Amino acid sequence: MRKLVAACLLVTLCSNADAQKKEVFKFEKITPEVLQRKIYPVDSNASAVVLGDVGSTEIIGNTKGWFSFTFRRHVRTHILKKAGYDEAQKAIMLYVTSGAQEKLEALKATTYNLENGQVVETKMDKDNVFTEKAAKYQFLKKFTLPNVKEGCIIDIEYRIVSDYLNTLQPWNFQGAAPRLWSEYTLSVPQFFEYSFISRGSIPFYISDRSNRMDQFNIVQTQGAEASDRVSFTANVTDYRWVAKDVPAFKPESYLSSSSNYSSHIEFQLAAQRDPLQYHNYIGSWPEMTQNLMNDEDFGKKLDKNNNWLSDVVKPLIASGTNQDKARRIYAYVRDNFTCTSPEGLYLSQPLRNILRTKAGSVSEINLLLASMLKYADIPAEPIMLSTRSNGFVYTLFPMLSRFNYIVTSATIDGQRYYLDASQPHMGFGHLPTECYNGMARVINETATPLNFTTDSLKERKMTSILLINDDKGSWVGTMQQVAGYYESEDIRATIKDKGKEQYFKDLKKGFGLDISMTNQRIDSLTQYDHPVAVYYDFKVEAPKEDIMYVSPLFGEATTENPFKSAERSYPVEMPYAIDESFNVTMYVPEGYVVDELPKSMRVKFNDAGEGMFEYMISQSNDVISLRTQVKFTRANFQPDEYEILREFFNMIVSKQKEQIVFKKKK
Amino acid sequence: MRRITTLLCFVCAALAAQAGDIAYPVSAIPATLLPNAHVVKRVDDTRFEIISPHETLMKIKTAYTILDEEGLRYAQLVVFYDKLRKVQDIDGALYDAAGRQLKTLRQKDIRDYSNVGDISLMDDNRVKVYDFHYKDFPFTVEFEYAMRSATTYSIPGWMPVSSEHLSVQSSTYTLVCPESYAVQFKAFKYPAPPATTTDKGKITRVWTATNLPTFTKPFASPNWTELTTSVHFAPSTFEMEGHTGSSSTWQDFGKFSRDLNRDRDKLPDNMVQKVRELTAGVTDNGEKVRRLYEFMQKNTRYISIQLGIGSLQPFEASDVAEKGYGDCKALSNYMHSLLKAAGIPSLLTLVNGGDGANDRYMIEDLPSHQFNHMILCVPMPKDSIWLECTSQTDPAGYMGSFTGNRKVLLITEEGGKLVSTPHYGLRENVTARIVRGKLDEDGNLIMAANTVYRAMEQDRIYYMINELSKDKLKEMLNEELGLSSYDVNDFTYTAHKGVIPEVEEKLNITVNNFATITGKRLFVQPNILSRGGLQLVDEERTVDIEFNNEYRSVDTVEITLLPGYEVESLPAPVVLKTPYGSYKSTVTMQNDKLVYIREREQYTGRFPASRYKDVVAYYNAIYKADRNRVVLVKK
Repeated sequence: MRKLVAACLLVTLCSNADAQKKEVFKFEKITPEVLQRKIYPVDSNASAVVLGDVGSTEIIGNTKGWFSFTFRRHVRTHILKKAGYDEAQKAIMLYVTSGAQEKLEALKATTYNLENGQVVETKMDKDNVFTEKAAKYQFLKKFTLPNVKEGCIIDIEYRIVSDYLNTLQPWNFQGAAPRLWSEYTLSVPQFFEYSFISRGSIPFYISDRSNRMDQFNIVQTQGAEASDRVSFTANVTDYRWVAKDVPAFKPESYLSSSSNYSSHIEFQLAAQRDPLQYHNYIGSWPEMTQNLMNDEDFGKKLDKNNNWLSDVVKPLIASGTNQDKARRIYAYVRDNFTCTSPEGLYLSQPLRNILRTKAGSVSEINLLLASMLKYADIPAEPIMLSTRSNGFVYTLFPMLSRFNYIVTSATIDGQRYYLDASQPHMGFGHLPTECYNGMARVINETATPLNFTTDSLKERKMTSILLINDDKGSWVGTMQQVAGYYESEDIRATIKDKGKEQYFKDLKKGFGLDISMTNQRIDSLTQYDHPVAVYYDFKVEAPKEDIMYVSPLFGEATTENPFKSAERSYPVEMPYAIDESFNVTMYVPEGYVVDELPKSMRVKFNDAGEGMFEYMISQSNDVISLRTQVKFTRANFQPDEYEILREFFNMIVSKQKEQIVFKKKK
Repeated sequence: MRRITTLLCFVCAALAAQAGDIAYPVSAIPATLLPNAHVVKRVDDTRFEIISPHETLMKIKTAYTILDEEGLRYAQLVVFYDKLRKVQDIDGALYDAAGRQLKTLRQKDIRDYSNVGDISLMDDNRVKVYDFHYKDFPFTVEFEYAMRSATTYSIPGWMPVSSEHLSVQSSTYTLVCPESYAVQFKAFKYPAPPATTTDKGKITRVWTATNLPTFTKPFASPNWTELTTSVHFAPSTFEMEGHTGSSSTWQDFGKFSRDLNRDRDKLPDNMVQKVRELTAGVTDNGEKVRRLYEFMQKNTRYISIQLGIGSLQPFEASDVAEKGYGDCKALSNYMHSLLKAAGIPSLLTLVNGGDGANDRYMIEDLPSHQFNHMILCVPMPKDSIWLECTSQTDPAGYMGSFTGNRKVLLITEEGGKLVSTPHYGLRENVTARIVRGKLDEDGNLIMAANTVYRAMEQDRIYYMINELSKDKLKEMLNEELGLSSYDVNDFTYTAHKGVIPEVEEKLNITVNNFATITGKRLFVQPNILSRGGLQLVDEERTVDIEFNNEYRSVDTVEITLLPGYEVESLPAPVVLKTPYGSYKSTVTMQNDKLVYIREREQYTGRFPASRYKDVVAYYNAIYKADRNRVVLVKK
């Protein structure tokens, strides 16, 4: 089955191709005419244009008895304006671990300028390449090109020789600058099988493959002098992808991750075979999760009888139902542990260490939570997912490297609760919106698939306002508001950060001027399972005039359209589906009559009724009642719905600004 | 049996000594230190010893009680170091609220990171970090470390209340140096001289502070340095990588820079030739400066590489000529070299660059390293020409908000000389805007907004039009006009370079649903783009009020209305005249047009705290007046 899937994907990649296209790209000679170009049709506003970006990866035998790969790149960029100078500053990340390494070789960087009609070439000095130790296993090679001026062309060539065969160098067909030609060639010998994953919307101009035979030499050093040498020939497939005239990638707001839409291809080692010993690196989903369950640095520790947990867990499970016990364990981990890193799937330290230091990565904290729940005999399973900002996972394709986050599920009385104890204010059974990014997999025997979609998150906010006019003409109101669950998270974080006093001060500012606020109160601030409720009384000073205008929603109206740009290229991905309602009850001031009320209206977002806005206002004797609601049943919208969405919010903003007009009785 | 008993006793005693010590119990914090605090410095001791001009040893011991989650950043030990400063002997311990020791620091858990600055391609800054990751508030972290430095170039100052929401139970600064070694210092809010003792040829000065409550910096506050207890130091003679200097006077301090810069201004022959070509036939020195400055701007860019003494000494001019890049020192020195080749003398100048009022602040009577940037001054018979050499776009002679309106140190052949950069005030910092718009049937407004920004008012926009691509500019315009929904149909920017530069902005905008239509009425807010955003709350005020920036803005708005409406309510004119600024706005109907005129001036000055009520009233009146609306009703 697995092979079939891989094959399907390959076919898709090739189907775009015109096999006849054997067009070869050559970096043209840099002449004064080339340097004089100011504008390229691909993007007339561009500050820099990549004239050619050509890369290749080839797998070769090494002297350590195995294989390495050589990645070669040649990139040439025309810098047209100062805003494009960033293209001349580069950092190449290299990994070095014990026994394996990556090396940067044959780096050449040259700047071409036009001076007095002549092409002048300046080469970068080798001693201007700096090495920065960025992390334990990561080194950055940093350099910048000399003599970069408006109109110059920079040309960079280098090669990376790497022992990390699992993930070959990926290729970005799209970036911050437009590209005239972006080409990548991958040569894979028959004894390795790689999975190819591509994404983005740029069609390939060429997608081609061809076969040839090649010789491989492996040397294994045996002690000081002796060495074994193995040579053999094998079939090699050359894959070639070309994208032409690629526009710059422009990120947009309300996109969960721009990496989902920028054109890109990456590779993951799937298997090795004859003449090497057969080994499967990517299996089915159940194979993958079973491997994790048996991994010393992951699931294996969870199933051991972890008696070292007893001191901590026993007091938490001394009484109550399984539900009570689970909640206590969850709250204990959430409230006492510090999350030190948002990423990483595996344990970098023993669980026991995490319990001792009270700190760990997201997955370490949630794996510890799972082990504590299991210790209390509550069925618990870790779940792996990719956060929204990390990008989508490939649903057809079991690829561990796409996942970056672990949460835990607890099953109590047949119901599954999803838990993330790494977030300081998250309630029992709630996950951060970041976790809602489509497919997730339970780490169990069957790799149970789950679908966490933001469309399923309903962010309900309810506000009621009671308003009367006092004898001096001022409006006196009582406000009650139950915030949405995720807004509650924000309020909790704000109050933690700035304090309640500042929170209410900011709220007061949201009204505009001449407001006094009393009886401020917030409920459920520390009851993280529930949304917070905000209460206060307010008084808006207003002089008694012959005509009084009042905007009945005060500071609560939607005053800005969240969708600023007129155009949209990618989908709108909101963190949840909105459902906001307001109820206003207002008494007509004594001695006044209503001169004008806004008109009631109800509008559907589309025929399917996946969104609606209503504004219902009525008067009965001296009481005016207003109910207004904005409600969507989903959080994701396609680019072709954008214009309607923007218009819809324009209408909401405009309607919620409308005023009630009172006139003095004659 | 006897032996066993002794052994047992011994074991017990050892345990008691380890676990029984109580240190920093939260109950011992005086109540006055708790309001507004997230962290209390229980102990904050620094001992700085000048062993010789090229060797210092600093020992620090701190114990901070973290009261809540917001104080957590103080629970970390963060030590910055570099090639010339080595950290040693890090130790630490964690205590619970009762003062029981819970843990001690594990050496192998100390993390070490590269700390290359955002603006740098490369430097040698690194940082060590330690965290107990404890969250059961309140708790106390205790840290100790020593730092050995191979230079006396700068001596760290003492500021117990180093930020808001932080109080101090006890803080000490001890400065030890050879008796023969002179140290300058300047104290704020510490009237007494330090406790001084002399022993074995060493002189020891001690400053102490106890029980300092939290301090909150209010709106329009004078500089923090003046508001809390602090002492600042300057060495007499100092050394850095074999270079010696003195900061006894500004003149002496400047000599060190002068010597570091010496003989680094040689240009390759082809560059000297180039300078000749560029200045051939020009007689006016000012014009020569402009030409060479523009040449430098076209041919270089800012790249910072600062290693060791490289943080103070510029690259050689020939290096910049060859590579076409450098940091502020290298580029200023290069520009100086170009001018020298043209026979025009110029002076490298140390400055503390930054847009904030605190960046302009300097302790003038304490000659010392109070700078972070370098510019170039070209003395002229009348006014000097000031050059910012890291900018590829700034006009010659204009300093702006980053380097203008402040004291700087000229590096002359005789040493340092403190002077002022150009001042930009009410007459220079001007925004003048004319908006003409027409309302359509649906309440949308189609308008042309033409704005001229001058001097410091144009700094941000000038930077953006030069640094951002046209797409990014549009994106920014789409975000930041503060209107509920609008489309920028077209925009252009024209920069007029000069000693007082101007940027002209032309926007063509459709403001969606600009007017609110409710039945027969139309609500219009005539101030569209110049609404004052600041609201203040009247609070008890103890510190002076200080305004640091002067500016003036003038707006004229004409809105052509729909036919068939008449005015129901027109806001009365608002006129405010105060020592802090003045404001005037009027709105009138002229035929079918609504005409709105607004003028605002902001003054500088320092005022007593008692005037705060007035200031609040002034700002809030502007906030309100800027949101006044006109109500029209169908005839």
